[in-house]
Amino acid sequence: MKKRYISIILAAMLVAMMAACTGTEKIKTLIITGQGKDNFVWMTRTQAAQQILDETGLFATNILMSPPQGQDMSQFNPDFSKYDLLVIDYEGDAWPKKTTASYMDFVNKGGGVVMLNSKSDPGTPVPSTVTVSKRHDFEVRTRIGNHPVTNGLPVRWLHPKDVIVHGTPLAGEDVQILASAFSDTTFAGSGKPEPVLVARNLGQGRIFMTMLGTPDLDENQASQCAGFIVTLQRGAEWAATGKVTQAVPFDFPTAAGTVLRPDYTGVESDEAFEKLGSYEIGSSTLYLTWLQSQIRKASGNEEALLNLEKKMVEVLTNPASTIEAKKLILNELSWMGTDYCMPAVKGLGSVPELEDAVDFTLKRLK
Amino acid sequence: MSGKSSRRDFVRRSAAAAAGIFVVPTIIPSSALGMGGRMAPSDRVVMGAIGTGSQGMSNMNDFLGLKNAVQFVAVCDVDSARLLKAKATVDAANKNTDCRTYGDFRELLEKEKLDGVSLALPDHWHGIIYTETVNHKLNVYGEKPICRTINDGQTIVAAVKKNNIIWQTGCWQRSQAHFRRGAELAINGRAGKIKLIEVGLPDGGRGIGTPPAMEVPPELNWEMWLGPAPKVPYRGVAHWNWRWILDYSGGQLTDWAGHHIDIGNWGAGLEYTGPVEISGTGVYPPEGIYNAPVEYDFTCKYENGIEIRVANASRLKMGMGTTWYGDLGWIHTDRGNRLTSSDPKILEEVIGENEIHLYKSDDHWQNFVDSVRTGTPAIAPIEPAYRAISVALLGEIAMTTGETIRWDPVKEEIIGNPRASRLLSRPYRKPWELPTV
Repeated sequence: MKKRYISIILAAMLVAMMAACTGTEKIKTLIITGQGKDNFVWMTRTQAAQQILDETGLFATNILMSPPQGQDMSQFNPDFSKYDLLVIDYEGDAWPKKTTASYMDFVNKGGGVVMLNSKSDPGTPVPSTVTVSKRHDFEVRTRIGNHPVTNGLPVRWLHPKDVIVHGTPLAGEDVQILASAFSDTTFAGSGKPEPVLVARNLGQGRIFMTMLGTPDLDENQASQCAGFIVTLQRGAEWAATGKVTQAVPFDFPTAAGTVLRPDYTGVESDEAFEKLGSYEIGSSTLYLTWLQSQIRKASGNEEALLNLEKKMVEVLTNPASTIEAKKLILNELSWMGTDYCMPAVKGLGSVPELEDAVDFTLKRLK
Repeated sequence: MSGKSSRRDFVRRSAAAAAGIFVVPTIIPSSALGMGGRMAPSDRVVMGAIGTGSQGMSNMNDFLGLKNAVQFVAVCDVDSARLLKAKATVDAANKNTDCRTYGDFRELLEKEKLDGVSLALPDHWHGIIYTETVNHKLNVYGEKPICRTINDGQTIVAAVKKNNIIWQTGCWQRSQAHFRRGAELAINGRAGKIKLIEVGLPDGGRGIGTPPAMEVPPELNWEMWLGPAPKVPYRGVAHWNWRWILDYSGGQLTDWAGHHIDIGNWGAGLEYTGPVEISGTGVYPPEGIYNAPVEYDFTCKYENGIEIRVANASRLKMGMGTTWYGDLGWIHTDRGNRLTSSDPKILEEVIGENEIHLYKSDDHWQNFVDSVRTGTPAIAPIEPAYRAISVALLGEIAMTTGETIRWDPVKEEIIGNPRASRLLSRPYRKPWELPTV
């Protein structure tokens, strides 16, 4: 156990040193929370948001708790100017005037803001006209595809077990509804499309609003949705810097179905090849899709392609790999493979269950 | 009515007389009776059907709905339940119980004496069955897309050219007045010089996850359904939904390419050529047995400067259909009798005597029958169908590889990209092979 702790500490130090060496400043981020209708909801959401942002390696996050609801708010006056980005997960008592003023000053001078499920401007009361639908799966439609946040996203994607908020006031110039969801009356909806992702320029600053990801006490699929996670990561980077450097991941949901990231993290290479090696009919195809996306990403880069090919050959030659996994790998190698994979492919020709797949691969590789 | 009952008798009588025997056990096709390959205009075209699923039966009913045009005598399917239904339809039309049934297309092609065959099968079977049918010198009404791979398509085209048969592709939009009118306005420059064609095809839909292997329904010959495709256990997906799995098809993109891309090519004079450069992206479902792209957006550049953008409809301003953008305006056409333009006056334009007049057909199935009877080409010959699906298949290759593909539309090969070139074919599982022409 002790050894494990030491290795974790060492790893953490290494990461810190690497960050220092690269010289890329992390985006200083303050997550403001502390009040909301349901303590569980905002606490879960705040923790999720921190983890989701930290996952990118782009943000240095801190959480600031306001006084609890009904307590004295007069001393709640954070120094926003120390931060590049504010993430607001707060719905409760009004902020003191000076706090609201310094918030406005922060934005006007170019600060970035992410509003998580906010039904009103920070520190202002929620209008009584705001309602929410029942929780259900729904389709999100990307409305503006050429905004940095949404560039490269599918036009249609499914989002699981969430509420749709109706009637959020969206005042101000340059409000862009990046994505919307039709709120079906079957689920106490408004019967019309409602904004779910909004970008807004204010003064020199930028505000990104996401209405997705309201956690629940049950499975919490809404905030585990890869679509919520990725748009939050991209929206936060855009709000802080005006651009998005993160690639759209292969597991972004589509019209075909929802995609969950139960631990909020994306797929890592080693994990993917390991899981791929144990593929059986009926199990997840996520790791094959990951591989295909990596091959596509590596196009034109022979070194990167060869690295992938080597990993694929490892799966082929690993006695622990399943027959079905080998078939998937052979199918990819059949078009992208080089001389490197030939011995491994030919070596499988004597396995009766792989005879057809090997034949297919060798015919194509000719 | 005597007129009605005389139909079958007429065919039997004329067949018997020509064959010089009193009774014939089967109906002999008129074209096989030494009339120089030409039929009397009144003779019915004797047909078989291979593939009797939803599209196969839809085509059969369209043929049977024509007046004194077609007589089906044999049907083939790998699903015995569908086969019986198809036989029942044919027998009801023929008012007998003579329709012969086959579970193997090779047997039908060997035993039957036919004028033509209606083919409607999953795409992965097209290369073999289309080529084999044409090699038997039979006229074909064949469903789009005519091939799963470019290599399959090249073989089918070569077979049709060599055997000199009548080929009609199932791209029936060509036989609808508004599509033809849109294409004719476009090709005659009524929107100016065409710069861009946008083609909107359906978005992909919901997946079904990753079902486990399950028992094959007793009526389905699964091994024969798979044929040349990789051997996999049955997982509840065969009829219709094969189109969402890449081993068999390419999703909505390849399913619809034969319609709206074909119309786009028709109205721009690109029916007998292909693009020179193709690039774009696809959105693939991260998870599930359905692995065809649910969104796609790629652009093809042609030698003459025209670009074709093909995308799922939700990505395009005009949505579904074909839009020709010229330097003077645009013309859009889609199903549901839609024909619109940037300026309504464009649609009122008269096409002059010396301008281009596109082939006119008011009924796609009647057009096939007429072509078989007269020996003249049908409205949707093989090569335009091949060129239309090639656009989608080259787009698929660009999306799969993540690369910009350079294509030689004359030699019909990918230039300088061995990896992408491998995707021009899908090797067949033994013992199946693409027939030689």
